[in-house]
Amino acid sequence: MKILKKQLLTLGAESAIYIVEYWGMTLALKWRPSKPYVHNEIDNVLRTSRTSRECKMLTFVRTLGVPTPAVHSVDISNHSILMDFIEGQQFKQLVNTSSKKKITSLCHEFGKLLGIMHMRDIVHGDPTTSNAVVDMQSKMWLIDFGLAEKNATIEMKGVDMHLLRRAYETTHWALQETMLESTMEGYVEISGDDAEAVLSRADEIRERGRYH
Amino acid sequence: MSLLCLGLEGTAHSFGAGVVSSKGEVLSNIWHMLSPVEGGIHPREASRHHSDMGPGIIKRSLEDAGVSHSDIQLVAFSRGPGLGPCLRTTATMARTLAQKLAVPLVGVNHCVAHIEIGCLESGFEDPVTIYVSGGNTQVIAFAGGRFRTFGETLDMALGNMLDVFGRTVGMRFPAGPSIEHAAAEGVDYHQLPYSVKGMDLSYSGMLTAAKKLHLEGVPVADICFSIQETAFGMLAEVAERAVAHTKKNEILLTGGVARNNRLTEILKGVAERHGARFHRVSPPLAGDQGAMIAWTGILQHQAGDELPLSSSHVMPKWRTDEQDILWR
Ligand SMILES: Nc1ncnc2c1ncn2[C@@H]1O[C@H](COP(=O)(O)OP(=O)(O)O)[C@@H](O)[C@H]1O
Ligand SMILES: [Mg+2]
Repeated sequence: MKILKKQLLTLGAESAIYIVEYWGMTLALKWRPSKPYVHNEIDNVLRTSRTSRECKMLTFVRTLGVPTPAVHSVDISNHSILMDFIEGQQFKQLVNTSSKKKITSLCHEFGKLLGIMHMRDIVHGDPTTSNAVVDMQSKMWLIDFGLAEKNATIEMKGVDMHLLRRAYETTHWALQETMLESTMEGYVEISGDDAEAVLSRADEIRERGRYH
Repeated sequence: MSLLCLGLEGTAHSFGAGVVSSKGEVLSNIWHMLSPVEGGIHPREASRHHSDMGPGIIKRSLEDAGVSHSDIQLVAFSRGPGLGPCLRTTATMARTLAQKLAVPLVGVNHCVAHIEIGCLESGFEDPVTIYVSGGNTQVIAFAGGRFRTFGETLDMALGNMLDVFGRTVGMRFPAGPSIEHAAAEGVDYHQLPYSVKGMDLSYSGMLTAAKKLHLEGVPVADICFSIQETAFGMLAEVAERAVAHTKKNEILLTGGVARNNRLTEILKGVAERHGARFHRVSPPLAGDQGAMIAWTGILQHQAGDELPLSSSHVMPKWRTDEQDILWR
């Protein structure tokens, strides 16, 4: 692989993202470095399985019509994925600078994309506003599929929706009701009658884990 | 002039009373934990423990602080979340004292108190807090006027998982220290279900798998070692996700399980990677005790909060993010 320029974009929770110039293209390189403070065997299993999972899922959900960066190459032993770089902004940051109308429409889209995945029994696993990127044309792309899973049950989909709601609560508290409402509209638009079971499970999950 | 607050804690298995001054001096902090010979904690039994031990603990706490009843200018109590019967017993003692001494009463959120006493001790201003105990496993941070739970367990608390496993291999409650001890002798790592969902996690699957290893005859030390590495690794991951997400640069570890040295070591590693400062709350202030309630009561009272006796009902399901934090 001939990489001419490599520049650190951000240090994520479990990865480092680099912007690289490759054959005249600007790409993103996601690398999962080792965590010396975690047991070596656990660390290796996680880095390997998540790299492989992310790579497969990015590609698979794309065929369903969910915009994701195209994967160019993967190096499992080095725990890295080379994919399209989406020029834009994290949805999380955009919420702070956009009009309510724009936020509402982006949330609607976010809900639709999750709906599309759930209808095919796929969960994202970490559906926060950090993991959606909005490009210059206001198109939303989903990223960070290391925790995604196939053959998802109602419980797993419920967890996904619970996580989404909590992301709004903790990070976009002032707008949480509006954002949740439009997201749910988009979600229900796609999943129709299947939505109810998932959303009531999400409510139930929210109540668990509390003191009992 | 400094104000003295008596704080009563009694949300679960422990009853505690502490006296703290408005300058942040912990003058006394006495508690007693119910430790049944076998089995877990029963709410009624725990509340009886609190009503039996409570008055004596309060008396000792005042003596230890070198103050008399009449020096107390504020009474604070753990209003929730917690076990209903325990909360009610504690609240009754607090109301009676406040009335007898004719001083204001303040109802404190137990989880918020764990964070505030940790901030007092560490000098941290705005940490991501990892709160792990027998009843709670939460990743909390301040945002938009409230303490918000960024991540938590979807089923059982970390401490509870350790206690339940400990019980199946014959360890006494609370089993955390025995498990840490046994884990130090462990050599072989056995894979256990690692279950992280975003910033949430789940421990019930690994508990079932660990019990199965025990039935299969795997040495207890190895299982304990594997449990610690897996359970704490999961916690490190959600902590890391919260730090990356909030971009805060302090990590506070508190709650009963904060006593564990391996957990501390792992979270120190997380802090280092993200350039954050780390503090583990010292054992006397990390568990459930009254000083944290007293200190938070002072902060709350100074921000103008006071609870009329008539509406001082307990709140067993009081969520951390339901309270406006007026003092921050
Ligand atoms: N392909 C990409 N194009 C543009 N930005 C990206 C891309 N991949 C990651 N990022 C940015 O890097 C951040 C971290 O990447 P992510 O895949 O979410 O890693 P982590 O698992 O560590 O959270 C994202 O929130 C996003 O801002
Ligand atoms: Mg991410």
